[in-house]
Amino acid sequence: MTGALAVTLASTALAAAATFAWLRARRANARTRGRLAAASEELERLEQAFARFAPMELVERVIARGIATSGERKEVTVLFADLVGFTPLSESVDPATLVRILNGYFERMSRAITAHQGHISTLIGDGILALFGALEANPWQTNDAARAALAMRGELAAYNAELAQEGLPKLALGIGLHRGSGIAGLVGSPELMQFTVVGTVVSVAARVQGLTRAHGVDVLLTSAVHAALDPRFVLRALPPAALKGISEPVSTFALLSE
Amino acid sequence: MLTAMASALADVEWEACVLEPRRDRELEAFVRSRFGAVPSAVPYFTRVPWVVRSMPVLGPDAPLLTLDSLLPDLIGLVVSQDNSCRYCFGVQRMLLRVHGLPDSRIRKLEQGFIDAEIEPRFRAALDFARRLSRASPLSAASDLTPLRDAGWSPPEIRELAYATAFNVYMNRMMTTVAIPYAPVESLADSWLIRVMTPLLRYLNVRRARKAQALASARPTEPARGPWAYLLDALSGAPASHALRETLDAALESSVLSRRAKGLVFAVVARGLEAPHAAAAASALLGECGLAPEVLESALTHLGSSELNGVENALLSFARGTIRGRPMQLQQRARALLDRLSPEQLIEAVGVAALANLVTRLDVVVPGR
Repeated sequence: MTGALAVTLASTALAAAATFAWLRARRANARTRGRLAAASEELERLEQAFARFAPMELVERVIARGIATSGERKEVTVLFADLVGFTPLSESVDPATLVRILNGYFERMSRAITAHQGHISTLIGDGILALFGALEANPWQTNDAARAALAMRGELAAYNAELAQEGLPKLALGIGLHRGSGIAGLVGSPELMQFTVVGTVVSVAARVQGLTRAHGVDVLLTSAVHAALDPRFVLRALPPAALKGISEPVSTFALLSE
Repeated sequence: MLTAMASALADVEWEACVLEPRRDRELEAFVRSRFGAVPSAVPYFTRVPWVVRSMPVLGPDAPLLTLDSLLPDLIGLVVSQDNSCRYCFGVQRMLLRVHGLPDSRIRKLEQGFIDAEIEPRFRAALDFARRLSRASPLSAASDLTPLRDAGWSPPEIRELAYATAFNVYMNRMMTTVAIPYAPVESLADSWLIRVMTPLLRYLNVRRARKAQALASARPTEPARGPWAYLLDALSGAPASHALRETLDAALESSVLSRRAKGLVFAVVARGLEAPHAAAAASALLGECGLAPEVLESALTHLGSSELNGVENALLSFARGTIRGRPMQLQQRARALLDRLSPEQLIEAVGVAALANLVTRLDVVVPGR
């Protein structure tokens, strides 16, 4: 009798232990499923966020197979923008105000660029490197870049009015535009990668931006841009000028309006 | 879980609807006879009858003869999600529920079908659908190779492309004018749909069989008109007849000029670098008397002094429909109402959506 009771008790205890273990495993599975679902949602959100900085196809490839070095030759229009006289400004205001001014500037410029199908590749100090036709095929990339430059001019004028109301100094902008072939891809180290374009097309745009001061204008474009540009844009031809690293003097045009 | 399921596109910004709804009992009866119900989007488009008719004509009236009935709805879900069309996404989730897919599986599909128990053959089809819809990079004949490798036959590939392009069409229509998504977004999770799923599934199967029988009995017509190349490529599939009917109706409508519509087709073809669609649009515009050099200039710069104000406005608008995100599309559509009447806007949206459908099908035309 005692033996039978012991067997029953032992069986019950075993059954209870098994049920407990099963319930615990079920709870753990549910927790794992929940975490996986949350991670998957987070991945989807990250994927969407990264698609603003690199082609979606590339983002998916990176997620699926990891970062691989590959590039593609593309016809792109490059916009290089820089603040004129930024160094004296940076010495005349306190750091917090300077950062606030800069962030407001970047926000407005970013809006003007993305509204015209461009994407910001890099911020270099107060400089902006923006690309048109790099993320996706865009037969209207040059007109888009010129319109973005005009929109940046308009945004800066509005921003300067706000800064003036606060008694802060005005900002001045120089923009260089160039069109040509470059290598588009993920560039950088494993810790810091960015989707960008490399090649002469970028350096020419940067140097043309540098010419804006010499010519006393805010937006300058090269003859390669001029050739692809809608003739309804109003331009003023400027005398050819020597650019560092370019053997022949480069003809440029000031972009006045559309 | 239900809340999480409804949130897949919850972050997508969506403007107030650009159009006012207007009931039309005759059109609603036509739509009900094909869909079994009148989708909440229909009253927003009734001012231009061909646009309303196109939805069932290109959809249930053009049944896919070679594909498993679940696949087109799976394609609908991934394409609508990719295009951030909250309205179509809600509809597709409901359709997948009617197919009997559990919440967990639908959720996995929304998450990119990484682990969605999708067989490799279906996965190849869904990858193709996303690529064709996204058009970045641009579609190429090489996109068909993974499909062939996965065992899809040429007629099946044509229907896969059509199912994708049809979903792009519906996405553009609903997104551009910001059709309110609230009536459909939570439909899949409603108790009524859950209870009625077996009945809805039965009715869907019956309707599909009837449409297939009708389509099979329809005599093959010789292809004609600017898009004859495409109708020929789809020959034998009900989609060919549906496209012909819709393209004819769109061109015959007098709300916008034929030339304005041709320009919309031409811009989308230029943006997607689709040679057959571009040639068709050029031919149509040539019939309208537009000189090739004027067309080339208009397409290069999306504007020309030789075109009128409405035509110039439509060029930029059409360009925005190629890959635009909902907010951008909706803001452009609203801005267009300064120049266009609501009827003209509806027709412009319908034509642009049709141009996106037709142009994406270039990939299945031989000789691409």
